[in-house]
Amino acid sequence: MLPSLSTVLLAATLLLFAGGPRTVSEPPSAAPNAQAPEAASSILNSPFSTRVVAYAIDAKLNTTSHSIDATETLVYKNLTGQPQQAFPFHLYMNAFQPQSTLMTEVRMSGARGVGADSGWNEKNHGSITVTKLEVEGAGDLTDKMQFIQPDDHNTNDRTVFQVTLPKPVAPGASVEFHMTFHDQLPEVLYRTGYKRDFYMIGQWFPKVGVWWKNAWNCHQFHADSEFFADFGTFDVNLTVPQTEILGAGGDLISSANNSDGTKSAKFHSEDVHDFSWTASPDYTIVEDTWTGSAGPVKLHVLMSPGHMKSAPRYAQALKGTLAWYDKNIGPYPYDRVTVVDPPHGAFNAGGMEYPTLITAGTTWYMPTGVLAPEDVVNHEFGHQYWYGMVATNEFEDAWLDEGINSYVEAKSMAALYGENTSIINFPFATASEAQLLRIEYISMPDTDPITRFSWNFISDNAYGGVTYGKTGTVLLTLEKVVGEDTMLAALHEYFLRYRFKHPTGEDFLKTIEDVSHQDLKWYFDQAVYGTNILDYDIWEAHSDRLKWWEKEISRKKTTDEIYRTYVTVHRKGDFIFPVDVVVKFEDGTTAAEHWDGRDRWVRYTYDRKTKVASAQIDPGNKVRLDRNFFNNSYIVQEDNRATHKLENMWVFASEWISQFLAWVS
Amino acid sequence: MPSAVRPKTFISGAGLVWRWQRILWWIFIVNLVLAHFAIRGLVDRVSPALAHSSASERLVNGYDLTAVMELAVQPDSPLETPGPVVFHYSVVFAVFMIFSTGGTLATYVFDTKPSTTAFFEACGHHFWRFVRLLGYMALAFIPMGILIAICSAIHHSIDDKSNSPYPAAYFSGASSLLILLLLMVLRLWFDMAQVIAVADDETRMHRALRRAASLLKHNFGSLFWLYLRISLLAWIFCGLGLYLWMYQLSPWSITTAFLLTQLMLIFWIATRLWQRASEALWYRQYQAVMVPEPAYPRSPAPAPVPYSTAMN
Repeated sequence: MLPSLSTVLLAATLLLFAGGPRTVSEPPSAAPNAQAPEAASSILNSPFSTRVVAYAIDAKLNTTSHSIDATETLVYKNLTGQPQQAFPFHLYMNAFQPQSTLMTEVRMSGARGVGADSGWNEKNHGSITVTKLEVEGAGDLTDKMQFIQPDDHNTNDRTVFQVTLPKPVAPGASVEFHMTFHDQLPEVLYRTGYKRDFYMIGQWFPKVGVWWKNAWNCHQFHADSEFFADFGTFDVNLTVPQTEILGAGGDLISSANNSDGTKSAKFHSEDVHDFSWTASPDYTIVEDTWTGSAGPVKLHVLMSPGHMKSAPRYAQALKGTLAWYDKNIGPYPYDRVTVVDPPHGAFNAGGMEYPTLITAGTTWYMPTGVLAPEDVVNHEFGHQYWYGMVATNEFEDAWLDEGINSYVEAKSMAALYGENTSIINFPFATASEAQLLRIEYISMPDTDPITRFSWNFISDNAYGGVTYGKTGTVLLTLEKVVGEDTMLAALHEYFLRYRFKHPTGEDFLKTIEDVSHQDLKWYFDQAVYGTNILDYDIWEAHSDRLKWWEKEISRKKTTDEIYRTYVTVHRKGDFIFPVDVVVKFEDGTTAAEHWDGRDRWVRYTYDRKTKVASAQIDPGNKVRLDRNFFNNSYIVQEDNRATHKLENMWVFASEWISQFLAWVS
Repeated sequence: MPSAVRPKTFISGAGLVWRWQRILWWIFIVNLVLAHFAIRGLVDRVSPALAHSSASERLVNGYDLTAVMELAVQPDSPLETPGPVVFHYSVVFAVFMIFSTGGTLATYVFDTKPSTTAFFEACGHHFWRFVRLLGYMALAFIPMGILIAICSAIHHSIDDKSNSPYPAAYFSGASSLLILLLLMVLRLWFDMAQVIAVADDETRMHRALRRAASLLKHNFGSLFWLYLRISLLAWIFCGLGLYLWMYQLSPWSITTAFLLTQLMLIFWIATRLWQRASEALWYRQYQAVMVPEPAYPRSPAPAPVPYSTAMN
């Protein structure tokens, strides 16, 4: 049940009279000590993940200079099976500089709402400086830090550094890094930064790379890539002004006011691979609870000023999505989800996922017929499964996160908000998520395969169109081959089989084959690894008198006339896909055909005492990869209603433009 | 302005439009025909894709936005942007309106049935004057443009600094209303200049503008209220029409939708003509009541007004 506005106001009032700001959740009763991560878990009695890293970070936010000063201790357990001497680290915050690889790519192609060729604003400058790096037993290695550029050799890019230890860390042993670092936050750009007194802090600390496929995987920060990291535990102590309301991707262990007007809040999180947090004195907190198969989940929604109307929409969407995932994909094992609603002007902080914390997005005037708040919550929460728990490599296999998530988004949004109305739902206009994915795909269908590394796409549009749109559409089309239930069963199996394990694309595709008991190589080669275009059309559909050389029989005896009907189906694209064809005749009879699509065309011929009325490829529009639905059918009887409808709208618009010009002249 | 003439102007203006409704129908027909030509190419391109396809049902049994998007993103898309063509035809319509305004105002000012020849003579007689007036209007738009830019900058500044989105939204609403009202005042000023040009056969447009400004200054309340309440009626009617179209009509009521949209347009044109007729009537009554004391020397030997001939 959603909290009423009065409940929210009452909660806010209680917070005010409690003598100071509060964080988003009450401390879990089972977690008295931030240094006792095993005891802090309320859901996970034993680790779900292989915990490779243990971060302990002590950070202080300076709201005047918009900066963070912090110390970090990282205990890295060498489970690589071989000695390790050189360790790469991400310094994502250094991407917010004009000569970085990220900004160079943005300038070339645009991304995340920043247009190509857009200018540089000094407010968007961000950096992270590691002022000291010590390794337990090896002393101060600050001088040994070396920036590396494994992807593009851009020496101005400082988003990855490497440190080489004096001696290797033996397999199975641990190494402890101690770092002191300083973050200069940008005005919100690329998911992170500040806007007025709002802070969204993501990718903010030195994060070690992942040993994956027998090598270090530590890519630079790119315009079209997200993140990849190892699982472990996070113990984070945040010191902020007492006026700040905090939210974080972890359980609040304790919170205490300091004598200097600040407060310190300790958070703990485990079996996650990242830690993000937010602060603002202006948040209104909406709390709710949802109970799934893994137990109760606390929902914290941090609403920015002017957006309260969207709070129930966020909460309802979140609970609906949790229930859908719980039923169809698997249990949500964490005890919390935090939804951050960025304030106006901080749009770029919205629509992002971090473990157990997502950022949404709305406006003060959001109409109920535009389901953007619901959709963004649905999408970002979905990442908790694919990015959060399955944790694929978003640099190299972005499709396994964004694409699978887009497919599930289309399914779950349709289940929650209607098959054809899941994004736009007005009496006068509608749109569905599944169709929007398809539009994204068919706008950039053949430049890049799905499996391309995220920063190597021809453009930002191609990255979006293929990674989100095409992957989602490929999986929706796969339902036609293996069945909808089998697809969901395959996703369920994939999640259970690979959660917390960093699987690859091959793992995902093999799971589908395992569950469906089908060899789908023919499909994956074209749809996943290829750039083939799928487009079938009705080349012709017409009827002719069988005895065309004889005089036409008079109208009274037309029932005796036999017609030969020709229906030719044409494969326009290079994607071979078996299709169903339904031919309807004027007397109401039908003929169903199945074509393997291997040749370029096929012609069906019928001799009947009736003429053809229509021919339709893929009657249910299940083959969503088909680039053009409009040429999939041919109806003999012309129907101009759609044309007239569009014509009327265009005439009306044109008339009004004329009226406006006449008024100002 | 004697108060006795005020109430009559509003109603009588509507009477003038009704009496000379042929003007209304012609403007409507020209507008419709030009709009039809403007989008003809687009319709011809899109029709083959829709007329024989079952996918077009997505547009008949509702309005699936993704169906239109799908047409737009095809490599050989039939939905080429018609913007430039529509703009060209709109310019033609605007020129037509400038041309016809002379005849229209002459009809309203003299309230006598003109012959076709007389009507078009009046159109031609005033055409270049109104073109010159358009030049002055372009100049008047410069400060308006500056004001819009300033308001926009202030809006962005408030939006950037305020934690709540409402102050910027309120400012935006208030500034938009202010700009709209100023544009209406500007339009009214130029409307009155056109009335003066026709009624007094004023040849010098800067003089017509100065006299119109003086009139507006001394009778702002009555003139602006006359203009505004007709505008309000137009907005209410069109808003209602849009509501009916979007929320009440069934998706497949295509003919009804066409009739409704055209009815909205007819009403819009009618209210615009109502404003022109009321302004003409107001000025006629103003001349009748007030002792004509021209603020500026009349132009020497005005050319015979074609309508005088027509009226005789």
